[in-house]
Amino acid sequence: MMLDFQSVTLRYGGIVALSELDLKIEQGEQVCLIGPSGAGKSSFLGLCNGRIQATNGKVILHDRDFGQTRGKELTRLRSQIAWIPQDLGLITNLRVNQNVACGRAGQKGFWKLLMSLLWMGRGEQQVVSQLLERVGIAEKIFARVDHLSGGQQQRVAIARALYQEPRVILADEPVSAVDPERARSLVELLTTVAREEAITLVMSLHDRHLAQRFFDRVIGLRDGKVVFDGAPNDERVQELYRLD
Amino acid sequence: MRRRWFFLGALFFCFWGLWVLEANPVELIPNQGGQKAAADFVLSALHPAFDYEDSELQGGEISFFSKVLHALWTTVKYALVAMSLALVIGLIGGVLGSRAWWSESRFSLEVLRIGVRLIATAARSVHELLWAILFLAAFGTSPLVAVLAMSLSYGGTLAKVFSELFDEADGSAAEVIRATGGSGLVAFFAGIMTRSLPDLATYALYRLECAIRSSAVLGFVGIPTMGYEIKTAFEDGHYREIWTYVYVLLIVVVFFEWWGSRIRSLLSKGVTSPLSEEKDQSLTDLWKGRGRSTFLRASLVLIFLGMIAGWVTEDHWGAGVKWEQRVKNLERFGEELVPYSVREAHGDWSQLTPWIESKMSGEGAEAVWRTFHLGTSSILLAGAVSLVVILASARTLASRAPRGIRLGRGFLREAFGMFFRGSAMLARAMPEYILAFLLLQVFGPTIWVLIFALAIHNGGILVRLGAEVVDNTSSQASEVILSQGGSRASAFWSALLPASFNRLILFLFYRWESCIREATVLGMLGVSSLGFLISNAKTAFYYDEMILWVLLGAALVFVGDVSSDLVRGRLRR
Repeated sequence: MMLDFQSVTLRYGGIVALSELDLKIEQGEQVCLIGPSGAGKSSFLGLCNGRIQATNGKVILHDRDFGQTRGKELTRLRSQIAWIPQDLGLITNLRVNQNVACGRAGQKGFWKLLMSLLWMGRGEQQVVSQLLERVGIAEKIFARVDHLSGGQQQRVAIARALYQEPRVILADEPVSAVDPERARSLVELLTTVAREEAITLVMSLHDRHLAQRFFDRVIGLRDGKVVFDGAPNDERVQELYRLD
Repeated sequence: MRRRWFFLGALFFCFWGLWVLEANPVELIPNQGGQKAAADFVLSALHPAFDYEDSELQGGEISFFSKVLHALWTTVKYALVAMSLALVIGLIGGVLGSRAWWSESRFSLEVLRIGVRLIATAARSVHELLWAILFLAAFGTSPLVAVLAMSLSYGGTLAKVFSELFDEADGSAAEVIRATGGSGLVAFFAGIMTRSLPDLATYALYRLECAIRSSAVLGFVGIPTMGYEIKTAFEDGHYREIWTYVYVLLIVVVFFEWWGSRIRSLLSKGVTSPLSEEKDQSLTDLWKGRGRSTFLRASLVLIFLGMIAGWVTEDHWGAGVKWEQRVKNLERFGEELVPYSVREAHGDWSQLTPWIESKMSGEGAEAVWRTFHLGTSSILLAGAVSLVVILASARTLASRAPRGIRLGRGFLREAFGMFFRGSAMLARAMPEYILAFLLLQVFGPTIWVLIFALAIHNGGILVRLGAEVVDNTSSQASEVILSQGGSRASAFWSALLPASFNRLILFLFYRWESCIREATVLGMLGVSSLGFLISNAKTAFYYDEMILWVLLGAALVFVGDVSSDLVRGRLRR
């Protein structure tokens, strides 16, 4: 079992963000979270890497309960989970290779990361270059991130996630700011890479067509509850976005 | 409506201040004897000296040119050394004074943060010239002591600004690093510090420019920088030499402003790599062809080397005074810091309150009041004048096609725009203290001299900041006005000013705080205010009184600082 949500409830003050969630995600599975704004998708992802603690219930990763894990054990657990937030979380005034190097910040520690940022060794450059080749921007390795287009920046964020060599990738609406064609190619890239590497991918999306086209499993959320959980061709997917 | 009330309030405060300061316009006309001296002084500005005015010194061992260069290097050297220390203080204080490096919120960390911020604010509340006076009185004359004084004040300022920059930096990269297993320290370093680096460098470079001005002013308390040469040239009646030093100082400060702005631009925009568009390049070729700026690298290396050179090329950091003598000085200073009435009463500290009360009711309260109004009236005057100058100097208005709307001929507008921008640059390049010193030679000892000095320097800064705001403000209303045949002035007053009003007021409050700080020392030139009391107490070796006035000045600056922060915080929201 990879990720196991056991009766998870999350409240922000009096507001219930997620309610009585019971679900499991297996190693290597490609899961897409869909649902309207405020459905609880970002909170769900926050629980997956322990950024947010459940109010009730347990979130278990590799037999470890996030709520009970502290210190180095938590660091070790987190270093297996890559995260691509909506705004990508890139250091825009640094070069692409330096941003990718930050993917291993948890494993490297302060001094090794400092060395990578100041003077990246030839070996590390090669590894980063191969990753960038894979995401299609090898020639941008030494470009400043703020000199890249939105789509290229998303590819840098994917390369950073892959450099971490994670067992899970969490992506929170990573294609919300690009045109439909770019969005399609980026989702395809992420799902392909994750499938090849047997990485568990949990991605939240607004576009149900992308979810239906690229994922094996779709979880529909609405008002903090799982409305459906199953194959992408489920008819209920279409109903999820209907206006009340 | 709100804007109208603000203008009315500002007008009221400005005139109230002038009334409190007894600033009578008649004082601006020197008496007959004064008129001749003033005319001589002003006319000598047209003929700066290229050799000693004293013929006995001409052709001597050290040429006038070497003397000017030596004073210039000493000024820059002390500024670089002070900044090297201030940067260390600023970085440590900036990190400890911010929340950005915390993994989680803890009470002990909050106490540490508030403590560090308070110390930083206290350090910057005392003007560097006052720190220098205190340190020189405590340890005896020495360049090192003056440099330490400067670094303390600047370190406090850097710590405050750096901690704000860290806290306000976009934390998304740091959040990703933390969420993927990075420690708080790693997340702070990689996600916050690297991201804030261009802003940190920008501010540090601006402070270096300020440090050169401050270093020059330290000459007025006996440190051999440009201020010292200006003061001695005045005492010898060599007016043309004064102007030579002033011009050289202006050139250097303007150069540093230009240099700093180029470095800032390169740091924030970066350099595009020509190879990054080409596919199938080898890693080595991509590395060789990466976007980089030789100018930026050379500049940073030069500043770093300059700081080291500053430390190692000074032979007289201690000014030859022995350590035992300094300890004796410190002991004596410590004894005399105890208020006179307490000393008289054999250490009875119950005498402290009556002593403070007597000092305050005598001249202290009035001096604080006058200092507050001096700073306030000056900045309001500067604000009023700069509003008009902004209209004439903003690049998007002072052109043939203001805001992109072609209006026909505009050569004169452009020429005036350049003239006003150049004048504003010179105005802000000149330290207030030296400006007041020069104006004093023209108008004599009147409060107007201090008001003008503060207003001119801060006006120069407000014009630059304000013109940038107006240039960057997007306002379709202004374009409509211009395209319908309206004048530049109509577009400015009715569209651009309302659109950029909040940011202009933000800058006004930012400079008000600096004006109050500067107002505490300008009185040392002999015009009644806190600085005047400090100067008198120093001359009479009344260190107890001196520290009381310095602390009062610090309290005033502290209040100004906090209220300016509050107002700016509200305006930002």
